[in-house]
Amino acid sequence: MKDKIAGKAATCLIVYFGIKRCHIELLSKRAIPVFKTYGIEFTYDNLVDHIQCRTEDLINDKMSIDDTYLFLRKRAGRVQGLAVNLENISVRIEEKMVIDHFNLHLGRGEQLIIQGANGAGKTTLLRAILGLLPIAEGTIKIGDYLVGGEQWKQNRNVIGYVHQENIKNNFPISSGEVVQIGLGTSRISKSDSEYQVEVAMRRTNSFHLIDQPYHTLSRGEMQRVSLARCLCQNARVFLLDEPTSFLDQQGKEDLLLMLQELSRNEAPTMVLVSHDLQWIEQFNWSRKELKGGRLC
Amino acid sequence: MLELLSLTPILKGLIVLALAGLTFPITGVYLFRLNLLPLRFMLMHGAILGGAMALAMQVNPFWTTIVVNLILVLFMANISRSLKIDAGQISSFFMVISISLAFIFIYKFNVPAKDTLTLLWGNLFTLSWVEVIGIGSFAIVLVGFQYYFRRQLRALFFDREIAFTSGINESRLYYAVVFLVAITVALAMKLIGALLLDAILLLPPVIASFRAKSLKGMIIGSAIWGGVFAIGGFFLSIAIDIPASSSIAAIASVAFIIIYFFRHK
Repeated sequence: MKDKIAGKAATCLIVYFGIKRCHIELLSKRAIPVFKTYGIEFTYDNLVDHIQCRTEDLINDKMSIDDTYLFLRKRAGRVQGLAVNLENISVRIEEKMVIDHFNLHLGRGEQLIIQGANGAGKTTLLRAILGLLPIAEGTIKIGDYLVGGEQWKQNRNVIGYVHQENIKNNFPISSGEVVQIGLGTSRISKSDSEYQVEVAMRRTNSFHLIDQPYHTLSRGEMQRVSLARCLCQNARVFLLDEPTSFLDQQGKEDLLLMLQELSRNEAPTMVLVSHDLQWIEQFNWSRKELKGGRLC
Repeated sequence: MLELLSLTPILKGLIVLALAGLTFPITGVYLFRLNLLPLRFMLMHGAILGGAMALAMQVNPFWTTIVVNLILVLFMANISRSLKIDAGQISSFFMVISISLAFIFIYKFNVPAKDTLTLLWGNLFTLSWVEVIGIGSFAIVLVGFQYYFRRQLRALFFDREIAFTSGINESRLYYAVVFLVAITVALAMKLIGALLLDAILLLPPVIASFRAKSLKGMIIGSAIWGGVFAIGGFFLSIAIDIPASSSIAAIASVAFIIIYFFRHK
């Protein structure tokens, strides 16, 4: 491969895409350790200390190649996620202030874990973002949509919601039908609908469950089907509420891998709330604690 | 026995019962899935109120019961939404109000209570052609509604919050469902009476749920069982000369017991 200029960002992309040999006309010194680490054969015409590029400054040595790739996609706006902005929101439930002048700003494709004790208001926060709970003050914006506004009502499906899979009714519904719920009000042909359901279920390794009654699935399988539903919905923001609540160890590991893969590929903006400290330790997502109605 | 079908009232009865049997259990599925059983009691009492009002004002009881039930549902839905009270609790309140108003009408307008209470038994063979066409049209609307909104209904029954976040106007859909249930109960009362309408409304979905693995399976199963009970009950009633409502309920109950027993085999 030949390129005119390569800094650290371009070098990471060369590694990510599996290129083994390259010639660069103008190479940044910061790129050389990356090439050496991953055994890439490289030559160059001119070597400079660094390239005048803000992106190169933002990539630090602790970032893996995968992290850097995702970071570059976000910088280029090549992610599915939408920005989430909560400005000074307060939520009261029966006169009790559960969320108190809360602010949150997530860029497109960013991931955040919100931890906190039971009753800290984590679920309330997610339900407020979804528009299921009225906010006493402040504003919530998902991308350009103001939650509760007219435009948002037409585009509510930009948010995919995965709750604790504690659905109490057991009415007959197949897993495929659950995933199809994600298609919402879209009027598409039966074959298109079946195709979208299949693609979403294959993405979460749940296609073999398509005809199985949903309520006979294990909790881990239910989570796979729910994530497939969100993918089918083409959700650009994922809100996950205590997704490990009823999962065994294997289920937790599977879910971890699925979410990491999702964040690498589609890169939706994701907010995960959990009090399962051991499990969330394994993510390299940013993390905050909800305490007294505010983020710490 | 088939020669009886040359009699118009009998023929109309068969047509209407077949239509009702094949389509009304769809709303039975809605009743179960949205836990609207208290609403059904309210509508049954509302129909008695409608009957009492119609007899007092000497108007058509068939249409009056439908209008009264729709008004009750409208009130119930608005109060439930604005005061954030469970629809079941409000239904219980309106149930009591309806029956008390019915008795006020009966008392104040000297309506023979016996006439009002004929609603409890239904009146299949007194339908006019307009009523037959009305019920037929409603059956078509019901099937069309189920087909057109099948995906949204599935979401609503699965989880209202998930339906909401999938972009479905679940609140509007819920009230549409409640309205359809109201009309169905009013019509079913006219056909087989208040006491036995469950045979055509609720037993088919219950039996279908034993085997169904999907909502589609449950809807189709309910319609088939409803049709079997209605048509089978109709011919049984002619064959052994008993009221159609009783024969429908008898066939449905026997089928329920047999199927319940064999589902474990």
